[in-house]
Amino acid sequence: MNGLVNIPAAAVAPTPLLRVQDLQVRFNVRDSGETVKAIDGISFDVMAGETFGVIGESGSGKTTLGRALVSLLSPSAGSILHDGVDPRSLGAAALRQHRRDYQIIFQDPHAALNPRQRVLDSVCEPLEIAGGLTRGERELRALDALARVGIAPDYARRYPHMLSGGQKQRINIARVLTLRPRLIVCDEVVAALDVSIRGDVLNLFADLQREFGLTYVFITHDLSVVSHVSDRIAVTYLGRLMELGPTEAVGERPLHPYTEALMSADPVPLPSSMRPQRRIVLQGEIPSPVNPPSGCRFRTRCASAAPRCAAELPEWRELRPAHWVACHFATRDGPPPRAAMPAAPDAAL
Amino acid sequence: MLEVRDLSISFLTAQGRVQVTRQLNFSIAPGERLGVVGESGCGKTVTGLSVLRLLPERQALIEGQILMQGRDLAQLPETQMRAVRGRDIAMIFQEPMTALDPVFSVGEQIGEAYRAHFPVSRAEARERAIDALARVGIPLPARRHVEYPHQFSGGLRQRVMIAMALICEPKLLIADEPTTALDVTVQAQITDLLRDLSDRAGTALMFITHDLGVVAEVCTRMLTMYAGEIVEDAPVDAALLRPRHPYTSGLLRSLPRLAQRRQVLPSIRGRVPSPTEMPAGCRFRARCDHALPACDQAQSTHQLGTTPSDNHLTRCGRAADLVLPGVVG
Repeated sequence: MNGLVNIPAAAVAPTPLLRVQDLQVRFNVRDSGETVKAIDGISFDVMAGETFGVIGESGSGKTTLGRALVSLLSPSAGSILHDGVDPRSLGAAALRQHRRDYQIIFQDPHAALNPRQRVLDSVCEPLEIAGGLTRGERELRALDALARVGIAPDYARRYPHMLSGGQKQRINIARVLTLRPRLIVCDEVVAALDVSIRGDVLNLFADLQREFGLTYVFITHDLSVVSHVSDRIAVTYLGRLMELGPTEAVGERPLHPYTEALMSADPVPLPSSMRPQRRIVLQGEIPSPVNPPSGCRFRTRCASAAPRCAAELPEWRELRPAHWVACHFATRDGPPPRAAMPAAPDAAL
Repeated sequence: MLEVRDLSISFLTAQGRVQVTRQLNFSIAPGERLGVVGESGCGKTVTGLSVLRLLPERQALIEGQILMQGRDLAQLPETQMRAVRGRDIAMIFQEPMTALDPVFSVGEQIGEAYRAHFPVSRAEARERAIDALARVGIPLPARRHVEYPHQFSGGLRQRVMIAMALICEPKLLIADEPTTALDVTVQAQITDLLRDLSDRAGTALMFITHDLGVVAEVCTRMLTMYAGEIVEDAPVDAALLRPRHPYTSGLLRSLPRLAQRRQVLPSIRGRVPSPTEMPAGCRFRARCDHALPACDQAQSTHQLGTTPSDNHLTRCGRAADLVLPGVVG
């Protein structure tokens, strides 16, 4: 691993708001004594004010990554620096103060709100935990945040079951805003919402970013969402980064065979005559993170895999400016040509 | 082949009778692939279940006709209905794990679906099951048919469900969000499989989903549902390019994929009216940018089909004078 990534060499590098260095997160499986390598060596930086998209399928480790970024999980190895500070080095009181700046919003807006608490109490709660304000001040700030996300004040006295999914997600956003965070990890925040509401919530995220200078780490499996909101996209697979680069480059001229397949598998709502013809359908499914393949994690489903892919972990290479890839055979023109690989169903089992 | 006429479904609840779909009219021709789209609560799942009469009979009132090759399924006695399920019409669901029995091997379950309709020995049913597993692309079917659902991954489980649904070669397969729980690369495998199987065997498909991209890839025709009504019924390409109902247009325009990156996404303001407070007239009126005072008249949208074209129906009273944007421009 080259360690520090994506800093333009010429720039006088400011401290990134988030610096992830060779991060590993492992879980022990209770009975079998096996280890799940949820995150298996990931490095990247997130600069203040940007939206950093993380895309991956289930089992790629993206949710674990999100939780680790806001110190809800501690790294098994490697480090996460928040504006140069390792939260693990802080004492309890300092950590509590520090956490205000690094917040997370989860996928299920229903599960994230206490059904027995009125909306206003839920929104005040983070401030209560952070401490330092009177009840009146907290309520004022909560109402302010609710207004900012488009929730009318009379909703503040209601209970979550009286609200729609979109409204609940707005309330979860308001909750986090009360703390005036610098960075928000958004973990599948629109996945549970209907299409017509999704747009509204995404627009809200964009407005809040402009207004408060927020930095987002936007974790999702939805290619269209991640491409819409992000400045840069990181593609995860089995606990590692496959590719990282500017959104347009990753979306339109990917370097990694996995990214290419992922993009081509995304169903496009266009009439048949306008749809891109070439579609790469991957064989099988993502292997288990207990026993990931040696070398390149993607090789068991890759149509360009060669013996070297099993033997060596691909290096993290910057093939185009600020566009990184972990593939032995990718060139600056794109992924390696796909061999006419026979279906390898055994690899999927 | 399947013709649904004036289908209204109501549930009896503690608060009284609540109508969830109103006077649905649609048909599916042999081999046709019909996508049913709409947001949560629009009635698309209930419609799929009602065709197979899988709604709880005590709580769900079904009015109207469900004609399958001339027979009205809504009137059929339960014993005869049982002969239809799995044989003429089969169904697959979003979450295959809950639809499979964990204590029987997948081969036994598939074979049983066959034995329910054909008098064959267990051994022959097993052979058929292995064949069916092979047809849906499960590797090593002769070995894997003795395995249990938990030994299969999500994508393979959905293939098992498809094998089970298709083993009796039904004329119609109802698929309710069959790929929603799957990853995008696996989703592509399953949608390709469904399309190929339908092409090869001439099985008609009723594909219920919220994902317009999946409909574009799999289906030939698209029904858009809103608040318990069908608001548009058109060939997929026509619906995507030139939708004739403002709701369909709004749904298409709100897809992030079609917008410029980081630009404001168009959205549909407001929310779906609750089933207990459905307005008379157009149900989309309060959220519609094109609504006129006349739209609250009951007769304004009474009929589905105010457009000149036979195969493009819409429930918009202004269809004749509106030009609505689709996925392009």
